[in-house]
Amino acid sequence: MKKEEAKKLVSNALARGRQVLLEPEAKALVSAWGIQVPKSVRIEGVEDVAIKLKALTPPLVLKVVSQDILHKRDVGGVITGLKDSKEASKALREMNEYLVEKAPAARIEGFLLEEMVPVGIELIIGGLRDPQFGPAVMFGTGGIAVELVKDVSFRLAPLNREEVFEMMREVKSYPLLTGFRGSKPVDLKKLASAVMALSEILLEIEEIKEIEINPFLVSEVGAVAVDAREVLQ
Amino acid sequence: MSIGTDINFFFSPQSIAIVGASPTPGKPSHVILENLKRIGYPGAIYLVNPNYASINGSKCYRSLNEIQDNVDVAIFVLPAPTVIEIMERTENVKGVIIVSAGFKETGYAGTKLEEELKEIGERKGIRIIGPNCLGIYDAVSRIDTFFTPEERVRRPKRGGLSILTQSGSFAELIMDEMASKDIGVARIVSYGNRVDVGETDCLKFLMDDEATKVVALYMESVDDGRRFVDVASRCTKKKPVVVVKVGKREAGVHAARSHTGAISGRYEIYRAAFKKAGIVEVNGYEGLKDACKVLNTYDLVEGNRVLIVTDGGGVGVSMADACEDLGLAVSELSEETIKRLSAKLLGFSATGNPIDLTGSVTDKDYVTALEEGLRDEFDVVIITVLWGAPEITETLADKLKEVKNSYNKPLLICTPSSEFTLRMAQCFEENGMPVFFTPESAARAAAVLAGRKR
Repeated sequence: MKKEEAKKLVSNALARGRQVLLEPEAKALVSAWGIQVPKSVRIEGVEDVAIKLKALTPPLVLKVVSQDILHKRDVGGVITGLKDSKEASKALREMNEYLVEKAPAARIEGFLLEEMVPVGIELIIGGLRDPQFGPAVMFGTGGIAVELVKDVSFRLAPLNREEVFEMMREVKSYPLLTGFRGSKPVDLKKLASAVMALSEILLEIEEIKEIEINPFLVSEVGAVAVDAREVLQ
Repeated sequence: MSIGTDINFFFSPQSIAIVGASPTPGKPSHVILENLKRIGYPGAIYLVNPNYASINGSKCYRSLNEIQDNVDVAIFVLPAPTVIEIMERTENVKGVIIVSAGFKETGYAGTKLEEELKEIGERKGIRIIGPNCLGIYDAVSRIDTFFTPEERVRRPKRGGLSILTQSGSFAELIMDEMASKDIGVARIVSYGNRVDVGETDCLKFLMDDEATKVVALYMESVDDGRRFVDVASRCTKKKPVVVVKVGKREAGVHAARSHTGAISGRYEIYRAAFKKAGIVEVNGYEGLKDACKVLNTYDLVEGNRVLIVTDGGGVGVSMADACEDLGLAVSELSEETIKRLSAKLLGFSATGNPIDLTGSVTDKDYVTALEEGLRDEFDVVIITVLWGAPEITETLADKLKEVKNSYNKPLLICTPSSEFTLRMAQCFEENGMPVFFTPESAARAAAVLAGRKR
């Protein structure tokens, strides 16, 4: 997707009165700025699974798509390790049951079947528009315990490459990125480019209030946005 | 609010008027008059109060407009509603310092008055410092609008430190401290409620002010964040700026629709802004004291490597801990340096970092340790001197000064503060080496110098 098309996702969502981009849109947007996302297909229901799944290489993950669900895992909206269309269909039926019970009021806008990303280090990269200082970018240790661990660093956008490397060195988990107890170092340049991409997105699209990739899974082979979120204004 | 004329005239006024002047000793306006005279303000002083024909033998005007001259700065010491009335009638004034309280800080009615004040200032093009402030202490142009008597809050001598603060009490605190430490200042501005002139306007002035070598900033909030970062970035290219940010617990203003929003309090963004602008942040009042002291002598350094030389093991270790805690690198000496040190120092000295010269140290050992240690790449040196070591002498300061001059590295001294050691401390200070009285204080000062690389 080109940057111009990605910008339309934002204006379309706002026109529909939505204050967030749906996960597939959010990912399409960051991928337009060169950030790698997993290969995925969007499905409406069980009837789509068999055909659409052919484009993907298992193992797969199934995720609910809804503007109302902030933490998908908490409502059973993520099922991992699916090997074929039989498992995927079964997972979809189960997920529907969870959702009826745990998020009865949420508007469900389909599902995402996605290739699972090989294990790596979970990072978070994000950004927000501060009323006083304008766009700011965050880098840190990702995962579900982000707010607990608070191992993050901030800089104001626009960023230069040197600032991005400073940000990375400021977080405690930095040694994990440079090779720790036998692990191979990750591609720091690629990581830096992703952080800079968020800075550019915030500068270019004023309607984005918050942007976040978490987890951003990095390893020696690459850096992939496993989940992405954009809050609009 | 940053628009309008520049504020340089506040720091070189040809004339100052005191509006609400009083003949009664102890009244704020009287204290201000006394202070202006005491400091030797060279321009014209006009007194304004319709209730008096003269005060202490000087003519007293009925109103500002009656003065047949343009007034550069009028100091208002009047109840808030009266300030508004007079501002509305005033035509011949460039800028005002409104000492009076009774504005936004008091609630709804005061907030209304403050909005009115702001509007009048913008409409008439009158720049405003305050309200609810102390105004300006300027040792360069000899201006003192602080309404605290000199015998209670001492005034520092002239020097290169300029201080900007929202808080008047903080201005007094740091002013008194600087005076007692004999550290000179250039300009101190207390701008209180900051209806107009704030940190950014002041920084813009101080940036090109030749009298100002260092800027210290006490910040509760910022007026226009982006403009502040822009101006401060330019200022830090010319001279160091240190900041104390208070109100760190203020919650974020972002909707918690993301972790990023939830985790970003206001303070995190302030920190990002300081980093962007190259401002060195220090922690609390103690941190600022140390920063002012060390920057009074030394400039910022490029790296963060600290060499510690000590004659007491325990003090050395606690110094190293304090440095590491502050993000400084107490890096190892090279093998060659260790070899040379071992050959030149007495047997029981420890040749690591810290270099521990022990209680058997002589003046010469300190010099040797420094000369050898500084062959490795270090940015700052902290030397602890415990005077219990019987063989060190009063000439140590002279000897260290020679090393300092030939290596051109900042040397910070840490020594206790008893009667004898204070006298010794003075020797160091006279030789251009600032003295700190605890390991933590010395480490904080070193961390300020390395502030951009921590």
